[in-house]
Amino acid sequence: MTAPRAGRGGIVTAIIAKDVAAFARDRFWVFMTLLALVWFVGMYVFMPETVDESLRVGVHWTESDAAFDAALGAAFGAAAGLDVVRYPSRQALEEALGMGATQPPERLTMGLDFPDDFLVRVHLTLPTSVRLYVDPEVPDDVRPALAAMVRESAYALTGHGLPVSLPNAETVVLGEDRLGRHVPLRDKLRPLYAFMMLVVETYALGALIAAEVSSRTVRAVLATPARIGDFLAAKTVTGTLLAFTEASLLMVLVRGFGHEPLLVAAALLLGAVLVTGVALTVGAAGRDFIGTIFASLVFLIPLSIPALAVLFPGTASPWVQVLPTHGLVQIIVGATTGPMAAREAAPHLASLAAWCAVALAMGLLTLRRRVAQL
Amino acid sequence: MDHHQAAITAEDIGFSYGRRRALDGVSFRIAPGEVLGLLGPNGAGKSTAIRILTGQLRARTGRALVLGTDMAHDPAPAQARIGVVFEEKNLYEAMTGEENLRFFARLFGIRGFDAAAALDRVGLADRGRDRVKAYSKGMRQRLMVARALVNNPDALFLDEPTDGLDPVSAQAIRRIIQAEAARGTAVLLTTHDMHEADQLSQRVAFLNEGRIAALDTPEALKLRHGQRSVRVRVRENDGVRETALALGHPDAGERLKRAVEAEGLLTIHTEEATLEDIFVLVTGRGLD
Repeated sequence: MTAPRAGRGGIVTAIIAKDVAAFARDRFWVFMTLLALVWFVGMYVFMPETVDESLRVGVHWTESDAAFDAALGAAFGAAAGLDVVRYPSRQALEEALGMGATQPPERLTMGLDFPDDFLVRVHLTLPTSVRLYVDPEVPDDVRPALAAMVRESAYALTGHGLPVSLPNAETVVLGEDRLGRHVPLRDKLRPLYAFMMLVVETYALGALIAAEVSSRTVRAVLATPARIGDFLAAKTVTGTLLAFTEASLLMVLVRGFGHEPLLVAAALLLGAVLVTGVALTVGAAGRDFIGTIFASLVFLIPLSIPALAVLFPGTASPWVQVLPTHGLVQIIVGATTGPMAAREAAPHLASLAAWCAVALAMGLLTLRRRVAQL
Repeated sequence: MDHHQAAITAEDIGFSYGRRRALDGVSFRIAPGEVLGLLGPNGAGKSTAIRILTGQLRARTGRALVLGTDMAHDPAPAQARIGVVFEEKNLYEAMTGEENLRFFARLFGIRGFDAAAALDRVGLADRGRDRVKAYSKGMRQRLMVARALVNNPDALFLDEPTDGLDPVSAQAIRRIIQAEAARGTAVLLTTHDMHEADQLSQRVAFLNEGRIAALDTPEALKLRHGQRSVRVRVRENDGVRETALALGHPDAGERLKRAVEAEGLLTIHTEEATLEDIFVLVTGRGLD
């Protein structure tokens, strides 16, 4: 009898359809996927869409002098986003700073206390001192800026100008000047949202593969005309398809495609291939659900670092740039904050593609070896 | 029977797991419609032999031919025409019985597969839409058999197909094996159950420590290695006298005639060695 023969495409399609159906009816992973979608979209929607760039500074001075008021106004009013609040006494200022017996409803983080004889001593060119209150969470570079403003007001009172001027026309802003429209935290979180969505699918595919290996259903598949190559191809397509679809859906919901939808889509596709490679490896290594989770963490913790580094600019070491997900994060950040030139994106895409090839090759070899050992 | 006539041919197959030799020069042939029982204790190499013959392992030495295909090179043409029942219950538990069968039918390239009929054949018609995780052990085993028959195979490999089953399920599976053999399918059956092997197999092979210790029909093995006798019980005075008459003895016929005609005859039982007795005799060890 001549048996019907399935083509390679038919076999791969049959395995993909089976895996997608298995994923769709796995209540745990469907719940986790939906939870991740709702959670990240919820975070995006409920976080403020603008950045409050103003700094409130509490100031106490007792002397009422038009020139002093004008000098202070000139010194502090010139600083964009600085909101000066005057307090009638040092005690009132300190209470507003949270140093009193009761905590104020809205605590100040910075304060200036001018001594009572400040004007007299300045006019007499005698040394005087102004107390500066600074909360530990105030960035270091703000403190000297405040001190400079105090000095500037003193210069203004004595009729002297500052020896150096910095005309706005000569201020050079590196990159795009985002003064007044800084990137809100919810937008900075987009790369992390995308990465975490991909992570959920890494776990799901890893668990699916681990189940197939541990129950040895793969042996039954390979006793048919299906080859190990068909099996591996189907797992790769299934993983990439699921991860890309869900990460793309999330990016649509959080407006993550920005100015360069094709670029972000390409980056997400490569990211999906990358995590699929990881899933193949952890699926081959994991004996059960817990084993898969632990094996995943070995890869996913370092891979999450570039996305976290976006939240804390300047804190990441240079080696973060060699991590596989650095390119993915840079493209999402670049494309969502403004137009991204192809020349700028190319190195990131190339790096991501190279890491994809490495991760996928490692995953395919590991799973192939594991299946051969069954 | 040469290997052109045989559906399944093992030619001097050898295989090792590291330093442990699993198969050492194993040879046998199975004709279309024949059931060969491969008998042996755990670790004898039965499952390894099946894995090599189904193309999942490559023999280190020798040759495995199935339906004219050398399984070490391109097993796909043969794999399209074989069915395998694995020792482990490797079914997709989250899928229903019907879905399991349909998935495997797609791997064989079969269109319009009638899953309900296939399930009906193994007595699972009313459970086809239940997920396999809800199946009993016997139901899973019957589904495994149904899966192995999805492509109407010309060669069937059954690794302990009735192991641990209740008598009703085991009997149902034996009937299917007999029906497949009657259809012309070559069947390689591994089992611990000597009675089952005796009942189903035209020939049996004793596999011990990776080697074939004996290969013949059950009858020939019994004749060659077993002692045939008749046990006669006769009432005598207040008791019962029991006598064993060896049938190989020159005057066995005369002695049996006298026993039958004797007054007070209670029972006459023919006795022959079981395959298990012969296995112990040939290999010097039991099947456990």
